Parts: sequence; C-alpha cells; structure tokens
Amino acid sequence: MQANEFDGNAAFAGGGFMPSQATQTAPDRPSYSSKNSDARCLTPVTVKQLKDLSKVGESGISIDGVDVNNIVLVGVISKIDNAVSDCTFRVDDGTGWVECTKWIHEHVDSVEVDVISVGMYVRVYGQFKSIQSRRPITDFNEIAHHFLECIYVHLYNTKLRPRMTNATDGMTAQPQVANSNSGNHIMGFSHQTNSTNQIRGISSMVLQYLRRPACLASEMGVSSDIVARELNVSVDKVRKTLDFLASEGLVYTTTDDHYKFTDA
Amino acid sequence: MDTSSPAAFVNGGLLRMHVGRKVRTVIQVTRSDAGSVMGKSTDGCQLVVRGSPPAPLTSYVEVIGVAENENSIRAELWTNFGDSFDASNYDQLCQLANGELKHLFL
Repeated sequence: MQANEFDGNAAFAGGGFMPSQATQTAPDRPSYSSKNSDARCLTPVTVKQLKDLSKVGESGISIDGVDVNNIVLVGVISKIDNAVSDCTFRVDDGTGWVECTKWIHEHVDSVEVDVISVGMYVRVYGQFKSIQSRRPITDFNEIAHHFLECIYVHLYNTKLRPRMTNATDGMTAQPQVANSNSGNHIMGFSHQTNSTNQIRGISSMVLQYLRRPACLASEMGVSSDIVARELNVSVDKVRKTLDFLASEGLVYTTTDDHYKFTDA
Repeated sequence: MDTSSPAAFVNGGLLRMHVGRKVRTVIQVTRSDAGSVMGKSTDGCQLVVRGSPPAPLTSYVEVIGVAENENSIRAELWTNFGDSFDASNYDQLCQLANGELKHLFL
C-alpha cells in the first residue's frame, strides 16, 4: 500500500473490522473451514447485504468471500417485544429491517434493554443468528460512518483482497472518502501537523487494536510487544506510536510498558 | 427480515431520481412552520419537507419519507440529528450509495 495516500486499510484494520492477514494466504480453502481466524472479525453490514446473503442459501455465512459471523448494524428500533428471558426488537437501517434477539441472563442485560426505545438509533453487535449487545447512538455522524464502512469493507473484499498477492496497484480501488472528523473516531486526529502519513497509519491501527473489547476490559492494558505481534509491526515503531498517542492523551500507561485506550 | 421498503440515501441533486419512492436525507433547517420545514440539503439545495416535525427541532434533522418532486419530500419519520453534523461526509455517502454501490443499499 502506498504510504502517501489515505491508508484506509490501516484506518479500519486492527479493530477487527478487516479480515485478518492470516486469511489471505490460502484463498483456495473452503470458506467455512477458516472460522477460527475470521471469528474475530466484526463486519459492518447493511440489512440488504444480509438479505442477499441468505437468498444465496450458503450454510457457511460469508459476504464478498469473507467469512462473516460477527456483524455490526446501525439503524432505528421500529419494534420491541420484551419477554422475561429475552428481548426481540426490530432494527431498520433504511435498506430493510431485521429481527434481533437479545438474551437476558443477568440484571445488567435487562438494564441495557430498558434504555432502548422505539424510534431510537442504535448500533448493534452480534452474530447473524443472535444479537449480543447494542448501545444507543448520540453522535449521528456514526450513521453515515457505518454505511461508509460497509462500502469500504465491501470494496476491500471484492477488489483489494484478490490482488493482495500482487500488491502493486492495490490502491486503485480505494473509494474517495472525504477525511471526516466524525465524533470520537480515530480519523479525527488526522489534523496533527507534524506526524507523517506512516505514523498516522500505524497510530490508527494501534488505537483500533486498543479499542477492542478484550483490550478495554483488561485492567492491566496491553503490552507493546503484544500489540506489535498482533499488528505485525516492529516493536520499535509500536513503542514510538504509543508514546505519541500517550502524549496526545489517547492512551495511557498502566504499568511498565502496558497501555490502555483512554475511554473518552 | 424484510427489504421491501428501503429508503434511498439522497441529497438535493439526487432527489429527482427517486420521485414517488421512499427516500432518506438530512437537511439543515432554515425555516420551520406548522406543516412544513424548509432546509438546505447536504449539497446546498433548498428542500421542502412536509409533515409534522418534532418539537424542538435541532439544526440538522433526518427525514425519511416519500419524494413528491425534485425538491420536496412528504416525511413519515423525523429524527433530530443534533447541531453538529458532518454534512459533506453524508453527502459523499449519498453519492456512493447511488452510484456503483447501490446494490448494498437498494
């Protein structure tokens, strides 16, 4: 990838939005056998994409050739059915609606459910068969952003991934995305004047990685070695990036060499 | 799952392509009367939205409804989008969603 153009792949990678590097080396494997590496992937989709997918009738769920188990949807709640053990609600994202089910096991689940009301915009995470969590949206730029992500991931999967082995003109399929400053998204800090494009790309990757639920949940944070290993970047670069992010207040150190995302 | 009533992302210029069909767009409110709201679309066109808006209205509001003609919409659903919204971002999305990536949406 050219470092002097908008490095969309780096911007969206790391947080599990893009298929992990591991899946690109064996394109001839049947899609349903690579479940373990793709299971970490969280793919933004529109309801229309989900519907087209089930029309084809595949048993291993995949969109654009990529295994899809975990998905993100953004839409309006148009109906809620609240029962004791579960809550079923209908999410309409403008391209269609889909029924989602949230299983209520503990008190915290029912508290989550109480906040949701009809007519509210939400972002939903879950598996195609069941929904795990959702939260209400307050910054509406997220909506445009979600759909742009759907477009980006779709283009990446259909145009860039097959060309990865050649890796020469991979940038030609990049959509012309305006550099938006939407809310708390990582692209917002692109107005740093003295950071090179390369650092910016890695910063996005590192930040996205630290924003993953597993990293956020860990009290100790993540060590720079692990970040470097997971993102396939040299430890040196990662450390420099983490120092930079810490000076910007985006991450903080917990113990020696362990970092956490500042939950702003 | 049902995709029978999808709403196309439109801005002022794209509205004419969907006259008579369900559309969604975000406008910046310039004037609001009982029964209609006038606003600027994300690409700078003046649009009229008929219906009963929620009160109070924020600067930006998303409307989902049926396009009556190339500059007016009969709204079914209104959502306040707040006072800070990236209109150019949304505008780009409208262009992409009506171009070669239409199949992801409609």
